[in-house]
Amino acid sequence: MRLVTVAPALPANFYWNRTVTQAETSAPNAGFMARHYFLLRRLHSLSGIVPIGLFLINHLLTNSSAAWGILASRESEHSGSWAMRGFEYFWKEVRWINTQVPNLILIEVALWGAIAFHSILGFYYAATGSVNTDRYAYQGNWRYRLQRISGYLGILFIFYHVATLRWGWTFLVPGGTQWSQDFAASTLAMVLRGGSSGITFAGLAVSLAYFLGVTLLVFHFANGLWTAAITWGITISANSQRRFGYACFGLGAAMMLMGWISIFTFLVADPAKVREVETRLGSPRAVAVQAGDK
Amino acid sequence: MTATAQTPRRTATPDRTVTFRIKRCDGPGKPSYWQDFRVKVPKNSNVISCLQQIAAEPVTAGGERVTPVVWDSGCLEEVCGACTMVINGKVRQSCSCLIDDYAPADGDVITLEPMSKFPVVRDLWVDRSRLFHNLARIKAWVPIDGTYDLGAGPKETPASQATHYVLSTCMSCGCCLEACPQFNLEEDRDQWDSSFIGAHAISQARLFNAHPTGSELKPDRLDVLMGEGGVNDCGNAQNCVQVCPKHIPLTESIASIGRQVTLHAISKFFRG
Ligand code: SF4
Ligand code: SF4
Ligand code: FES
Repeated sequence: MRLVTVAPALPANFYWNRTVTQAETSAPNAGFMARHYFLLRRLHSLSGIVPIGLFLINHLLTNSSAAWGILASRESEHSGSWAMRGFEYFWKEVRWINTQVPNLILIEVALWGAIAFHSILGFYYAATGSVNTDRYAYQGNWRYRLQRISGYLGILFIFYHVATLRWGWTFLVPGGTQWSQDFAASTLAMVLRGGSSGITFAGLAVSLAYFLGVTLLVFHFANGLWTAAITWGITISANSQRRFGYACFGLGAAMMLMGWISIFTFLVADPAKVREVETRLGSPRAVAVQAGDK
Repeated sequence: MTATAQTPRRTATPDRTVTFRIKRCDGPGKPSYWQDFRVKVPKNSNVISCLQQIAAEPVTAGGERVTPVVWDSGCLEEVCGACTMVINGKVRQSCSCLIDDYAPADGDVITLEPMSKFPVVRDLWVDRSRLFHNLARIKAWVPIDGTYDLGAGPKETPASQATHYVLSTCMSCGCCLEACPQFNLEEDRDQWDSSFIGAHAISQARLFNAHPTGSELKPDRLDVLMGEGGVNDCGNAQNCVQVCPKHIPLTESIASIGRQVTLHAISKFFRG
């Protein structure tokens, strides 16, 4: 009896006919992104935490000092009203940053660079995903989706925020307020209120944008911190991921609270009264007294 | 952690008719279309047994005689992964999908679709070659080929056996890939090596890296996993671990490989 073997002809590129792969992906003619894939991915992850996340914590701490400064500042030397003490504290914080922090402009430019790097790569990476929360409505999947949405909207907000308050694009500010560091609190209040008199609808819209922007960005940071711990292999077991999740939730909640309190504090502030305090604090005599304090 | 979300077991109406709404496709590149089939289901039916009934009598709900619906299956006991499809919108094995759970009442509807992340061969049958190709990318094997008898391998401790046994139960079904938002349909084979490798392969890399002999290939595996389409492409949606029918701790594997890749990169930086 004759046995006949029938072997189907496999296509030349059938998977087990191909040798693996790494040689192809790291070939010198591969693109820049492919050659430095790992480095760029991890720098993207790291840049979200240092410097951007650290700055965000610091920024929210400074801004919310307009509220918690009421508790922290000593009996005011310049004004009797306790409600104004927070703004005094905030004024001093801003003054300290702008006069005592060395190479402020370099720090700022480095920060903008980091944000640009993080967001451009972020757009690029986000484009590799596809949303399927309709079918797989798990909490983790929603966070995955929100991480991308908050990235897109967050960068829009950051641009608006920096352009209007830092680069002076006042045509984007209802009421046309020009933010100034010497009158940081009163001008910020005017930006959020839509002018120097009462709160306008346009002002409320700006405040709402700030509320959403801060909320989304804090979520993006807290969730990104949580996923970064998985990406880098710090939290491995499901239990450790859950525990670190609680920690990130706590941090995020605290930061959101700081952000919301800041917005509320400046929204309800009376710009005229705050400006009086700032003018007093900024007078040559007050500055001299302050310098003597040190 | 639950695997595929299942409706709680209710008492099923005996002798009921269930409608199967099936997404069909006549061949690669052909358009998809839906057809309804009404099946009288006996007690303890599963999706495959109903598909067999449809194959025996391929008449649609509208009374039209059509070509039988094609599907893939093997073991019929949820260990081979061949019968994986999207049932009522979620991916799972069809052989272990009990009709009494999914359609307990007369007139209930069950939708069947082929997986969307693999090219359709026909109807519910997809080509999972890329899944196996990705296992080859990370050399998911223990190298024992040689010109002489290599003798007995190193010992495994019971403790490491216990942690790694569950990883070895992967049946290459593709559920984790179907549910993953970072794993997309890619029909161009030339793109496979730079596209996301998937949770199953990452988990197998962890398994074989932990194997005393398999660890010989660890640097090769980590080189691939730190590159384009490697573990960094995971977006941590963690759908994979939710849908894996074998309850493999895929997200732990992803984190573990994340750590291995981090250390590998550091050691490469200093040792060249
Ligand atoms: S890891 Fe789970 S879901 Fe993925 S292929 Fe293996 S058994 Fe299927
Ligand atoms: S955790 Fe990663 S591999 Fe798993 S579903 Fe999410 S993106 Fe895909
Ligand atoms: S036929 Fe093997 S898993 Fe369903």
